[in-house]
Parts: sequence; C-alpha cells; structure tokens
Amino acid sequence: MQTLTIPEFLKTQKKYSAKYLYLSIGLGLCSGFLIIVQAWLLATVVNTVMFENATLSNVKQYLLMLLLLFILRAALVWASEISAFKAAALVKQHLREKLQKHLFRLGPVAVGEHHSAEVANTLVEGIEALENYYARYLPTMALVSLIPLSILIFIFPIDWISGLVLLLTAPLIPFFMILIGKGTERLNKQQWQKLSRMSAHFLDMIQGITTLKLFNASKREARAIGIISDDYRKATMKVLRIAFLSSLALEFLATISIAIVAVLIGFRLYYGEMDFYYGFFALLLAPEFYLPLRNMGTHYHARLEAIGAAENIMAILDQDAPKTSSTLADIGESNNIDIRLNHISFHYKNRATALDDFSCQIPARQRTALVGYSGAGKSTVANILLGFISPEAGEIRINDKIINSLNSEVWRKNIAWVSQRPHIFYGSLRDNICLGMTTKSDKELHKAAQQAHIHDTIMALPQGYDTLIGDRGAGLSGGQVQRIALARAFLKNAPIVILDEATANLDEESERLIQQSIDSLAENRTLLIIAHRLSTIEQADNILIIDQGKLVESGSHQTLLVKQGIYSSMIETLVKNEEILRNE
Amino acid sequence: MSKALSKRQSDLHVLWRLIRLFKPYWGWMALGILLSLITIIANVGLLALSGWFISIMAIAGVAGITDINYFTPSASIRGLAIARTAGRYIERVVSHEATFRLLAELRQWFYNKLEPLAPAVLQKYQSGDILSRISADISTLENLYIRILSPISVAIIAVFLYALFLGRYDTKLQLTEVSLLLLAGLVIPVIINRLAKKSGERLNQTSSQLRNSAIDSVQGMGELLIYGAAESQIEKTRSLSNSLIKDQQTQAKLTGFSQGFVGLSANLAMWLILLISIPMVNSGTLEPAHLAMLALLALASFEVVLTLPPAFQLLPQTLSAGRRLFDIVDSKPLIREPQYDSPIPENTDIKFDKVSFHYDTGGNSQNSKVLNKLSLTLKEGEKLAITGPSGIGKSTLVQLLCRFWNVDSGTITFGGHPVETYKSDDLRQYFSVLPQHSFLFNNTIKNNLLLANPQATDQQLNEVCEVAQIDDFIASQPDGYDTWVGEAGLQLSGGQARRIALARTLLKNAPVLILDEPGEGLDANTERALLNAVFEYKKENSILLITHKKAGLDLVDSTIRLK
Repeated sequence: MQTLTIPEFLKTQKKYSAKYLYLSIGLGLCSGFLIIVQAWLLATVVNTVMFENATLSNVKQYLLMLLLLFILRAALVWASEISAFKAAALVKQHLREKLQKHLFRLGPVAVGEHHSAEVANTLVEGIEALENYYARYLPTMALVSLIPLSILIFIFPIDWISGLVLLLTAPLIPFFMILIGKGTERLNKQQWQKLSRMSAHFLDMIQGITTLKLFNASKREARAIGIISDDYRKATMKVLRIAFLSSLALEFLATISIAIVAVLIGFRLYYGEMDFYYGFFALLLAPEFYLPLRNMGTHYHARLEAIGAAENIMAILDQDAPKTSSTLADIGESNNIDIRLNHISFHYKNRATALDDFSCQIPARQRTALVGYSGAGKSTVANILLGFISPEAGEIRINDKIINSLNSEVWRKNIAWVSQRPHIFYGSLRDNICLGMTTKSDKELHKAAQQAHIHDTIMALPQGYDTLIGDRGAGLSGGQVQRIALARAFLKNAPIVILDEATANLDEESERLIQQSIDSLAENRTLLIIAHRLSTIEQADNILIIDQGKLVESGSHQTLLVKQGIYSSMIETLVKNEEILRNE
Repeated sequence: MSKALSKRQSDLHVLWRLIRLFKPYWGWMALGILLSLITIIANVGLLALSGWFISIMAIAGVAGITDINYFTPSASIRGLAIARTAGRYIERVVSHEATFRLLAELRQWFYNKLEPLAPAVLQKYQSGDILSRISADISTLENLYIRILSPISVAIIAVFLYALFLGRYDTKLQLTEVSLLLLAGLVIPVIINRLAKKSGERLNQTSSQLRNSAIDSVQGMGELLIYGAAESQIEKTRSLSNSLIKDQQTQAKLTGFSQGFVGLSANLAMWLILLISIPMVNSGTLEPAHLAMLALLALASFEVVLTLPPAFQLLPQTLSAGRRLFDIVDSKPLIREPQYDSPIPENTDIKFDKVSFHYDTGGNSQNSKVLNKLSLTLKEGEKLAITGPSGIGKSTLVQLLCRFWNVDSGTITFGGHPVETYKSDDLRQYFSVLPQHSFLFNNTIKNNLLLANPQATDQQLNEVCEVAQIDDFIASQPDGYDTWVGEAGLQLSGGQARRIALARTLLKNAPVLILDEPGEGLDANTERALLNAVFEYKKENSILLITHKKAGLDLVDSTIRLK
C-alpha cells in the first residue's frame, strides 16, 4: 500500500462507503430525470395557456402532476443528502480508527517524528476535510456525465441547434477545471501544512506560556502569532481565490451558453421556425444541463482539499511500524524471563548509529544496571526491550527463543516502565496511576502508592485520589511526578521492570525510601536500571557498560573494578564527587 | 419560561459581542452585502427576463409582428449575466478576505487575553482544549459573517424588493410569494435552529475532546502502551469520533430536510403563481408574455432564502465557539496589574516577610497550606540556598516572587517596594529564572536561547553554553546551534535539555539569578561542575539556589532549610 498515490488512496477508501455512495448517486439520478419531466409539464402548461387559451381546468391534471413531482423531488433531495453524509461518515469513521490504531502500532519513537498538535490536527480536521470528497465530489462526478447526457437525449430530437450548443460548450467546463486544478493541488497541500504548523506552534505556545512570561517574551510571541496566523490566511486566500476564479469561469461559461441558447430560440420563435412549447422546454432544461457541471466545479475544490488533508493522513499511515512479533504468545506469566540481545544494531532516522553490534544478557530475577555517558545508547536499549523500536540487525532471545521484535501487546504485559520523563495526563491522580489497569482495587492502588511513597501526600490533599492534576503534571513537583510513575510500576506488578533513574529528583529521605521500594520491586523480578547513582550501580548483580552503541564491559562491581577499564574510571569520578558532597 | 428567556438573551448577547469583534471590518461587510445583493438580483432578473424575452419573441412570431425591439432585452441579458458572475466573484473575495484578516487578528487578540491567565487560571484547562479554542473555534467564526450575517441581511432586503415588484402586478401574487419566502426563509430556519441547537453546540466540545485525546495519545504513548491503556485510548477516540459523527448526522438530516423544503417552497411558489395568473391571462388582466416571466421569477427568487436554513443551523455551533472564546477572555487574571508606573527599585534586595500561601484547590485550605509565615532576605549580591524535602513549597517561593500567584498574607518586597506595586513584566525583568520544569520550544537550539535575549551575539551564546557545559554537545551536532530540539525538547536527552534551559536563563542579563533544582536530569558530576561554573560566571549577581541536594551548598553565603 506504500505505493499508492494520494488520489488512488482516496479512491480505495470508497469501498467503506459502498452502498450509501451508490444510493446517493441513484437518488441524484432519479432527481435528474424528474427535472426533465418537470420541465415538460411546465412547458406544456405555459404553452397551452399562452397559445391555446387554456383555462385552469384544462391544465388541472398537469398542475396536479407538478405538485406531486415537487414533493417527490423534495423527498429525494432529503434522502440523497442523508445517504451522501452516511457515505462520508463511514469512511471518516474507518479512517480515524485506522489512524489511531496505527499510531499505537508505530509506538512513541516513530510517532515522535510528528508534533502532537500536527497529529491531532490530522486526526480531527484532516479526517473531517475528507467529508466533502465522499459526500459531494464523488456523487457529483458520477452524475456529471449521466444527467447532461439524458437531457441531451431529450433535447436533440426536438431542438438540435440548442442540443449542439450544449454539446459543444459542455466539454470546456471540465477542461477549464483540470487546467485550474493543476496549480491548486500544490496550494492546497501548502495550506494544510500551514494549518498543521500553526497548530503545532499554538500548542507549543500554550504549553510553554509560563516560560514565555518568565522571559518577558509575550509581546514577541504575540507578533509571532500574528505572523503565523497571517501566513495561514494568505495560504487560505490563495486557494480560495483560485477556487472563486474557477467558479467565475464556470458560471460565466454556463451563463453565456444559456444566453446563446435563449437568443437562438428567441429568434427562431420570432421567425416562426419553432414552436414555443419546444423552445420553452429547451430553455428550462439548459440551466439544469449545466448544473452538474457547475457543481463539479464547486466540488472540485473538495477534492483538492481532500488531497491536501490526505497527504498528512498518508504520511502517518505509510510510516512503517516496528516489526510485530507473533511468536511471543507462549511466554506466559512466568517470572523467569531471561533476555539476551545478540549483535543488535539500530539507528534513528537522520541520525548517527545508536547501537552498533550490541550484545548483552539481562538474566532472569537479577538486577542489571546499564551505565554509560549521555548519548551512549542506554535509552535505545530500553526502547528495544519496550518494543518501541525493532533492531535493524541482530537477534533477541527471550528464554532462549529467537524473537525478531518485541513490539507486541503480549510482551508488554510483562513489563513495567518508569521513563526518564514520565508523562502525566490531565485527570485524577487515581486515573493517572491506574492508566489501563482499571481492574485493580482501591486496596491495590493504595498499596502501590504506599510502596512508591506517594500515598500519604495524596491522602493529605482535600480530594485525595480524586484530585485533578493539570496537563503534563502541572501542580506537581518533579519528585512527585517520579513517584507517581513508580506507583504505576508497583501497581502493575510485572515480572520485568525497566527503570530510568535519570530524573530521580528526590530529597534524601524519599530517596532512601524509594531505594527500599526499588529493592522490594527487584525481588523475584528481572530489573534493568539505567543507573546514575553509585549506590544503585554497586548493588546491581550485573553491570553493563555501554559506550558509543557498543557493550564495552560487563560484570559485577568488584570484577569490573579490578579490570581498571572505562568502568573504574567512571566510578572513580563518581566516588570523588559523592565524597565531596558527603563532606559538605 | 424565564430560564429559557435568559438563555435566549445570552445567545443574543454573545451574538452582539461577536458582531462587535467584526467592527474594524464593518465597512467591508457592508460592501460584501451590497455585492451579494447585486448578484442575487441580477440572477433573478436574468431568468425572468429570458422567460419574458422568448415569450414576446414567440408571440411576435405567431402574430407576425416585425417591429419588435429585441436589442434592449438581449443586451440586458448579457449585462445581467456579467453582473451576476463578476459580482459573485468580487463579493466572495471581499467577504473572505475581510473574514480571514479578522480571524488572524482574533488569534492575536485571544493570545493577549490568554497570557495574563497563565499559569494560575489556565491550570484548570487541558492544553489541547485551549488549542482548540485558538485554532478551531476561531476558525468556526468564519461562518458568522459569510454564512450567517451576510445571507440574512441580503435576504431581508431582497424579499422586500421582490414584494415591491410583484405588488405592481397583483396583491394575491405578492402575498403568495412573500408568505412562501417567509415560510422557507424564516419559519423553517427558526425550527431548524431549535432542532440543531443541542448537537451543534456539542460539535466544538467533542472535537476539542478528540484533539485532547490525540495529543494525549502522542505525548503519553509510551505509558499508554506499557500500562495497557492503548486499547482504551483507541476506544476513547472511537467513541468520541462516533458521537461527533452522530451529531453531524443530526445536522445533515436537518440540512437535507431544509434543502428539500426550500426547493419545495420555490416550486410551490411557482405553482401557486401559475394558479393565480392563468385566470388573469384568460381574463386579459395579465399579458401572456408575463406568465413565463413570473413563473421563472418565483422559482429564482428562492435562491436568496436557500442559504437561510443553513445560516440558522450554523448559529448554535458558531455561538458556542464564541462562548468558548469569551469563557477564556472574560476570565479574571489572578494578578491585578497596577495602573500607574512601576517604582524604581532602590537595590535588588528580595525580602519575604511572614508570607503565607496555599494553592486554591477548592477544598479545605488548611490541608493545602504551602507556606506559613515564611520570612527570608536575599541582599544584593548575596548567594542564598533554600533546601528541604520535595513538595515543601520551595518552588512556590519563585512563583510568588514572579507574581504568578498572590500571597495569602505577609509581604514580598523587591528593591524596597512590595512586588504588587510593580507591573509584572517590569518586575520579572529583574530576575533570570531557571524553573523546575523548564520548557524548550519546538525550534532550534539557537532560537530557544534567543528567547532570553533576542539581541544576543553569537559570542554571548557561546559563552553561556560553555558555562552550562552544553557547548561540546552543540559543537558535535551536524547543525550546531541550528539543531532542532523537537517537541518540548524531546529530541534531546533530559540532561541536554536541562543544560540548554540553563544556558537560556544565563543569557538573560538580570541582576537576580534564580535556579530551581538546576540538577534535575543531571548526574552528580555534571551538576557539581555546572554549579561551580555558574556561580563563577554570575559572581556579581544575587543568586537564589533552590535544591533538595547538597551540590552547590558550599558555594552559597547561607542556607535556609524549609520544613
């Protein structure tokens, strides 16, 4: 599916709207036929009254038929509007869900290439922008040849001159449309990009507004907002001006053609070459002949808009997710999970190699510390174990079974994770700790919070666990955020724990308590700590030193110290610093 | 009854406030309405004239009349055709240009109202919700003029003109036409408006929730996946999407109904006019040539009311967007800015005198008391550390000093004047603050730094980056200072982001430096070296160091421990 162009992509989505789309087209077609009948009835009435001195009672039956027709047409309009909406709604629903599911399949690393506001924009406005393509453009396109053709079939036998005028001018309309459409496709894409960028800028501004205030940058930001909004306005107007110009061209063409038909009819009537009845009939039908063509002009804009929006949708859908694994199902709920990484390589998009032939073992029920300088590849190892990325080369063995990727729900059931920068959701503290673990009881929740030493703090709040916290942990201190993340891990009670202590932003007392918690968390579990503190490193059963994407040393604290390698020099500075701190 | 009445009034009130926002463009709007009127009249005239023209030509042909003037009508037809198409084009450009200019200005206006509310008042809103207001809700206001006010104004004038024209023929014709126009253009729209109200008002709300859910999915994806919440997040999106579509369907049904009904009214008008004028033709009171003209005129005249049901249908959604904007705009900032000029500080001393404070969580204030009669002084050039366990209120000190919140009791003075006497922008220019949660913008390293001082030279940038010990990292990046930091700085490690934030703080050349947990995200080695360099670099300044660690405590003149 990666090879689909945008228009192809839009067309393939048609299948989700199947019957409603055809229903809408069918109803539109019926309506078109009824217009022909209506024109015939009307011409008959006017003609007989004007030229045969008919009275009301003479034309009564026609008038009654007209009345019936009007009601029928109103019902058709109503039904076709609803079915067109349904057709679009089905596609929108399908695509929005597909997009959302794909985001989770991609995982945080791949999705991180997009700004969250841009993704939100695609998921909300982007999908909405497809509505008119399916509800208006496609039905119109289906009718654009059918209705004018049927009208021609009726006009030609009675007035071939008018028929010829219509036949000759009609192709000019799609020709102009395509001519104009070529340029606007690019402009539409630009407009979408501007909208996405504007959203991203605004979200950034909102989330960083306190920082802007601290630097007295508000006036500058107001100007920036003015500029970016104005940019978007210009991009929008560029698109609209062309859309307006194209409908100007269309309407002008249609109007002029109708006028030509009218004038030709008028003169033939004048010279007695034609019956008023036929003339009036042809004149009534002429605008109806151009109506689908003009609609196509109007809704061609919907197509371009959909193309602009679909580009962003496809940018996400076409992104490759980390490989998924189907061989994981039989790991079960065992606490004995032994992990080996063999010759793993990985690099992030547009960046240097993150892991290069990296091998290590993370033994079951042991505490493994991953140590290295900033940028050495520690987070990449964690990302592989979390299934957020899949290695480009090398193999993963779980309990000696080769597994090509850990991007699987089954695998993640076994993992608890405390990230470097835990995300706090807008909502209650309870929801923030429980997340997907909704079956846990309050008792379990409180126990987990106690283990993470956040329970008492929460209970001291007037609303306790129901206290609402702001976006991204507004109102919480760094240490509190960290402990909420730990509470999640305790609550999950998973056999593998991956913990990043980089932001262990805690005072000594909590640090000591948390250390105890981690000790109890480590019991009977496989624990991988991205470690920064000496005490954590010393206590590990197994230490992995990573440097420039390679495993350079590994072993216990004692054996590594004896080696006099990179580890001992790292430890030396750590010890020195911590000594200085202790002496202060 | 009275409740319904007050609700109606508040709708009108919101509408009037929105119209007032358009004030700078009232001239453009009037022009747009005039052009739109010309277009509509030209179209009706065109059709009616064509009907009349072929009728007289046919009658002349049948009767053998040869001295008929067909130049005037055919020239008029051409003129009207041009007026109609050109008028429409100019009208659209004018009204859209005016509207989009206004929307761009409204975004700036909204931001200016938003800024004083941060952070205290904004805390209760989700950022995606605010985003929806400044982007989608403002975009919804596009409808107000283009799809609501303009069509309604044009219709009122046009209906009046049609009535005048038909009055020249016959009162029955006039009454029939006007009553059907009113039915299609007023009665139906008002009913539609009622029926569309609930679902229409919900639309903005639901899409805002959908946006929040999407932002949560992206920003918190790791946690959602690991803690088994991905499925429920997908379910949340699905159900929001479904309820959005359900409300849209209600709207589509109403649109379908009103479109069908207006079409029916137009046809009915033509039908009734035939019914009335056929006997008139028979009796000779109406020229036969006018029969076709009147029929076509009746049909075409409904173009002007065709847009009214959608206008009234869009009104609830548009008003709800307006309400969502006014909701923020009308919020009172927590901080009242003084009306007079800020005092000139005598020195840069900071003094807290018996300051008490609690965050207003709506519950029992005793429980959430953060500071209780705290007193402390930071003299000019002094270095002071504040320590204490996490969550004790150390960061609150900074928030109060920067005027993000008001104290409950006690006073904070800067340079001998209470902080309340300064305009908060003026006050904050004296402080360089590294907040506990520092935020990097989705931009380059350079632009993030320049936020603190847009005039900074490259040399100054190098200098602060060296002090913050991030210079080596920046130099190692292929794009150097132009390296993109990603959303919220997430393309960088926690430590790198923290050091760039520190460099940014140092770049702001204020007399007082305030560092709130500068070691967050850094290992002890880096933190220590960093603080040494910072204290050396800013040795002339006052420094307030807030920390729960021991690093840096040897560098300060005194330490206060909060309990």
